Amino acid sequence: MLNMLQRFFLLIVMVCVLAACRRGGEPALVLAVGGAPSELAFWEQVLADFSEQAGIRAELRRQPTDSDQRRQGLLIALKARQQDPDVFLMDVVWLSQFAASNWLYPLDDLAGADFDPSVFFTRVLNLVDRQSGALVALPVYIDGGLLYYRKDLLAEYGFSGPPRTWDELLEQGAKVQAGERSRNPGFWGFVWQGAQYEGLICNFLEFAASGGGGIYRDGGFILSSPANERALSLMRSLIHEKRISPPSTYTQMKEEDVRTTFQSGNALFERNWPYAWPLHQQDGSPVAGKTGIAALPHFPDGQPVSTLGGWHIGVSRYSDMPQQAWELVKYLTSHRVQKRMALELGWNPGRSDLYRDPQVLEEMPHFAELRSIFSYAEARPMLPYYSQISAIVQRHLNAALATRSRPEQALRAAQAEIERVTARYRIESEKSDHEFHERHEFFGEKN
Amino acid sequence: MKLTHDKRAAALFILPLLLTVGVFILVPVLGTVANSFLRDVTFLPERYIGLANYRALLNDGAFWQSLRFTCLFTLVSVPLELIFGMIFALILNQALPGRGVLRVAVLIPWAIPAAISGRAFELIYNYSYGLANYLLQNLGLADEPVNWLGTGWGAFFSLVVADGWKTTPFIAIILLAGLSAIPEELHQQARVDRAHFLQRFWRITLPLLKPVLVVALLFRTVQALRIFDVIFVLTGGGPGGATNALSLYGYQYFVSGDFGYGSAISVVLFALALVFALLYVRASRFQEEMR
Repeated sequence: MLNMLQRFFLLIVMVCVLAACRRGGEPALVLAVGGAPSELAFWEQVLADFSEQAGIRAELRRQPTDSDQRRQGLLIALKARQQDPDVFLMDVVWLSQFAASNWLYPLDDLAGADFDPSVFFTRVLNLVDRQSGALVALPVYIDGGLLYYRKDLLAEYGFSGPPRTWDELLEQGAKVQAGERSRNPGFWGFVWQGAQYEGLICNFLEFAASGGGGIYRDGGFILSSPANERALSLMRSLIHEKRISPPSTYTQMKEEDVRTTFQSGNALFERNWPYAWPLHQQDGSPVAGKTGIAALPHFPDGQPVSTLGGWHIGVSRYSDMPQQAWELVKYLTSHRVQKRMALELGWNPGRSDLYRDPQVLEEMPHFAELRSIFSYAEARPMLPYYSQISAIVQRHLNAALATRSRPEQALRAAQAEIERVTARYRIESEKSDHEFHERHEFFGEKN
Repeated sequence: MKLTHDKRAAALFILPLLLTVGVFILVPVLGTVANSFLRDVTFLPERYIGLANYRALLNDGAFWQSLRFTCLFTLVSVPLELIFGMIFALILNQALPGRGVLRVAVLIPWAIPAAISGRAFELIYNYSYGLANYLLQNLGLADEPVNWLGTGWGAFFSLVVADGWKTTPFIAIILLAGLSAIPEELHQQARVDRAHFLQRFWRITLPLLKPVLVVALLFRTVQALRIFDVIFVLTGGGPGGATNALSLYGYQYFVSGDFGYGSAISVVLFALALVFALLYVRASRFQEEMR
């Protein structure tokens, strides 16, 4: 007769044996992705198809929807050099950090001769997916800021089309807002994202770079410049002088607040990402059929700019099966899967060839315009310490919008703070030592 | 012999608690302190850098702004919560009809997760469809909606109200427990001596409530110092960094992969809470000596 303790011991042994059996079985690829339930269901389906076709078992590691949490989940796994996940999706602004941390497998080493990178948006590949010369990721989903406008209202007030310059936007916005206010006191000319968060940087970059400004260029920060001052003054004047953007712009306006304001018929112009398009057009939306999209306006001496967003796929440096992982990356960025993604999820594929696909265009006619808007794509600074820069810039821009500081003052303060705070990350000689060391180790492992 | 056996048994009973405290509190705290002496950035080689993170904090304007906000928030919100909590507790301690229901009702805000009550307050403060502006305009108190979170002080007091709504019940319930432990005879006796309400409150209620009061204050002060959720939901640290609490500031560094600097911020926050806690403990000892 076994006593309690012995039974308990036996149980533990059995559990361990079972666990070992499971571990000892066929290893599986792990793809880490987060998102809405419908998106996760889509990934499950795609992975099942891949497993069947390629004969490689692939599993989904479900991540939360929130992008900060997704990033943290990856950070912890990679910092601990875990073998899983093998493949994961990254927000475009993480790419530099992941690459500089040497967490991404150089895809050039995995890709065979049959791989053709020209099917992707070349500008996007060059802006973000190539890090110090090496291809480290591929775009799965492309995002870019654009202008939504009310076709019906512009026609009613005698305007022939959407504004091309910021001055035209001011003129159209003021006129339509003044007229609409008699019917709808909560009507605004232009809604955009100005709260203290990442979205503010995306909006600022579009204003600034559409007139020669920006945040970072040729290895230096260029925040404190006349072009940026003009852009920030315009953003501020939209709220406080021209008053065609609500005062809540700098306190609560994020993507969804902006979208719902426009969608409920309370705005003429909206700056948002492409995700708002199908929502505006859905049944029961007050603006369905009345909405158009265009590139954002620019300053007379500039051209439109669309801040690049989106998700990119990469292979972990610590993956125990990189070659199979590459097969999965190839599959997920294939014409067939990207087309499914566009048709089933309404996502904007990273492959440019799909924007000419007749079937896709029939279902999603706005893809034709998106294609030209994405050609104005501008990336946020591709630096490993971008998050720190973003937090600083957000704070100072938001202070200027809240009239807590003057635009030139805010930009100067942001520039100074960036120089000071990021000094400790820019230890160039040490960094190249580190890279050399890691690369060395990396080749050692491969042999 | 028996005594040592008892002692050994007692030690055995305490051991799990000590282990739990050690594993879940001491180790993380010491780990964070150790981490704060490192350059622990994902894209740079890890290295011991002594006090460099703390020296960088000294020159970091945003850190000082966060520290100032966090202290100010604590020093304003905790006394306000104490006053209202005391009023609620005194009312609930009276023999009112439906007292049981009232006591439960008061506890409801405390039971709601802060992130959710933050969302609720977002709907109250919302510029275009918020409850506060709706009431203000329909009562004819304002022509234009107010942008509640739009100024530094506006955001500050909006947060104090949102946090106070949620945490006042905590103080009220703790004080209520203290109140019900005060013998009614003392009050009756004082009434015989014709002490009026305020005299009885100062001379009887408050002194006898002091030990409970210190506990409530200690808990609330430490919680207020590490406020996160409400700010994360309502202002995100805005406008212009005016409400960037220390915990939010540290979180930003953890998310972005600078664990050393984030740890240093956490250690400062921990030290701040520790100082407050020691002050309260001292205050309660002082109380014992008085007796």
